[in-house]
Amino acid sequence: MPYVRSCKIVEAPPSPRLSRASPMPLAAGMAPNPNPSGGVEHETSPQALEAVERLRSVPPPRFLSPSPDLSRLAREASAHLFASLLPVCPKSLPLDRLLTDENFDAEQIWHQIELQSRPLVSTIRRDVRRLEKMGPEELLGVEVVHEDRKGEEEENDLGAEENDVDVEEEDDMEEDEEDREGEEEAERDAGKSELGYLEGSEEDGDDDDEGSEQEGEEDYDEDEHLIENELYSVGNDHKNKDSDDDLFARYEDFYGGKNKKPSQSHDRKKIHHSSKKSELDHEENESPGGSDADVHNTDDGEDFDVQDNGELSTYERQRKELQLKIEQMEKENLGPKSWTMLGEVTGAKRPKNSALEVDLDFEHNKERPPITTEENTADIEDIILKRIREGHLDEVQRAPKLPTKAPKELKELDDTKSRKGLAEIYEEEYSQKAGLAAAPLSFSDEQKKEASFLFKKLCLKLDALSHFHFAPKPVIEDMSIQANVPALAMEEIAPLAVSDAAMLAPEEIFSGKGDFKEEKELTQADRKRRRAKKKRKFKGRHIALY
Amino acid sequence: MEPANEGQPSISASSMELDAVAGAGGDVAKTSVLPAKPKFAALTAKEMDGKVQFRKVSVPPHRYSALKKSWMEIYTPIYDHMKIDIRMNLKARKVELKTRSDTPDVGNLQKCADFVHAFMLGFDVADAVALLRVDDLYIDSFEIQDVKTLRGEHEKRAIGRLSGKGGKTKFTIENCTRTRIVIADRKIHILGSFVNIKVARDSLCSLILGSPAGKVYSKLRSVTARLAERF
Repeated sequence: MPYVRSCKIVEAPPSPRLSRASPMPLAAGMAPNPNPSGGVEHETSPQALEAVERLRSVPPPRFLSPSPDLSRLAREASAHLFASLLPVCPKSLPLDRLLTDENFDAEQIWHQIELQSRPLVSTIRRDVRRLEKMGPEELLGVEVVHEDRKGEEEENDLGAEENDVDVEEEDDMEEDEEDREGEEEAERDAGKSELGYLEGSEEDGDDDDEGSEQEGEEDYDEDEHLIENELYSVGNDHKNKDSDDDLFARYEDFYGGKNKKPSQSHDRKKIHHSSKKSELDHEENESPGGSDADVHNTDDGEDFDVQDNGELSTYERQRKELQLKIEQMEKENLGPKSWTMLGEVTGAKRPKNSALEVDLDFEHNKERPPITTEENTADIEDIILKRIREGHLDEVQRAPKLPTKAPKELKELDDTKSRKGLAEIYEEEYSQKAGLAAAPLSFSDEQKKEASFLFKKLCLKLDALSHFHFAPKPVIEDMSIQANVPALAMEEIAPLAVSDAAMLAPEEIFSGKGDFKEEKELTQADRKRRRAKKKRKFKGRHIALY
Repeated sequence: MEPANEGQPSISASSMELDAVAGAGGDVAKTSVLPAKPKFAALTAKEMDGKVQFRKVSVPPHRYSALKKSWMEIYTPIYDHMKIDIRMNLKARKVELKTRSDTPDVGNLQKCADFVHAFMLGFDVADAVALLRVDDLYIDSFEIQDVKTLRGEHEKRAIGRLSGKGGKTKFTIENCTRTRIVIADRKIHILGSFVNIKVARDSLCSLILGSPAGKVYSKLRSVTARLAERF
């Protein structure tokens, strides 16, 4: 960074940059400097203060459009602020006043401001640290001075920023810083408690490691961070150690030298610990002390995320993440597994209804039975009712079997005392055999027979009426016992000896199969076989009679 | 020849006749022509032995009044149709049967005796008369304990089983097999033809042994159907 070495720069030859005829468009709004020497006379304080006040009172949107008045105001204000801060500066600056000629670019002015403000900020930081160590009671006594200093510095910076806005938009980061500066000023104006403010400022001091320009965090003092970063990039370790002794935590702070325990530096850690752990994760490691702390922290596995000054590189950050992940996975592996990872799990081993949440995969080979819903049953019931009403049933109707012969009348066992005497029964039997009397009627009740006959006739007529197709007269099978009485006897009264033609056909008399031998035709073997069979049959009988 | 004395045996008369014929034939002349073979009527009971045969049937006390009631029904067929004398010995409590001179068959007496005996066993007159009319009817008697020894309640229950409710089982068997059954305490009498007695006896025995009535009925049905088919 080129800066003018001579103390008195009132009539210093302009730098090569200044000789430019300001081709940049942002500088177009600037009027040519009436004093080409580039030296701006030191204005009287009230005038300058007025300029500052007027600047402050300007509504912000006006800054967006370039105006020569505003620029002039800004330059005046910045010069005034610079001059006012000059006695407070710890070091002797090459500049004794801010060169704010018209020929000077915003960038050049900015650099000049930086020249002054950087060491100033460090000083202030140191002081703030010191104040932190002191108790709140002591602070109350000395706070006023700090506040003024801080405020002046901010004002100075604010003015420079305003100038920049007018002239050109150089860096996004600067604008971000401006925003944050504005926030801070607003905080102050809002009348925050003094302690709170101090704490905020302390936090600012703590956060000097944070805020990479690209990531743009909600830091309070980005400007300071920038300054810090620039300083670090130079690589001036000595400077760091001297000036930043208390601001940046080092290994010794945490671990108290190589052999001391880490617990000693615990308190300090907590004080320095910021509530935003995420910031620390993202910090860029500029200081070697910080990096050391980082490494040792990871080794110990303790609160490694508590780092005030150690900014980690991307690699270290990634490593840290990995370590975290590894630890977590190791912990998981050691502990009990979830039930889904265990092999065979019965219902008792897993929580209730847990199988519902998990997407189980198994094949359903069988068709599910149909779920009966109200609609289904309603449909089915409707169908049923309809069918019943119509009489359209799906019954299986058997084909009627035609009887081959007349049905045999089953003799009903009469369990009342017989009216006829035994003699009469035998008499009747004999007479039937002899053919003197007719065969008795099979039906017990004459009336029954007549009734059935009448009904059959009626049915026949009704069927003939109702059927569309002609149906022939059905054969009415009358149940009658065909007694094996000689036909002539039935038809004609003739003596017994005349004919022996019987009513029944031979097969109706006896229906048997197989080789039927007469008694005389049986051979000896047959007779023996018959006897043996009979004996076998009656062997088990226990009737002790006859 | 004329039978001069009725009391004399007829054989001697017939022999005398023969002799007479032979003598007469011899007087005239000894010729080869023989007379026709004689035909002899069956001997009456009297002629056979010449003695009167008796049968005596004792009357059990429980049948005494029944006998008194149906005496005429008993008396008529015996005296008129069987031509057997019958009387009641009140003192001895017996029914006495005696052949008459015009009793056609000696067997009548036995039949009548059987008939009276049947009545004494407990059969009705109408049933017992069948004995007189049909030849091959018999009475079969046995006791329950012949079939199975039952004691106390079992015996009573067996008797109940035999009769059935209101006697319907007994009547069923009677009607099916054309027999008549009398159950007198422990004794059972069956009156009927030989085959029918057998069937009835089988049914009664199965009842005594404990089979239910329904089973007996079904068996009866099949047996009687078979029997009926034969004739």
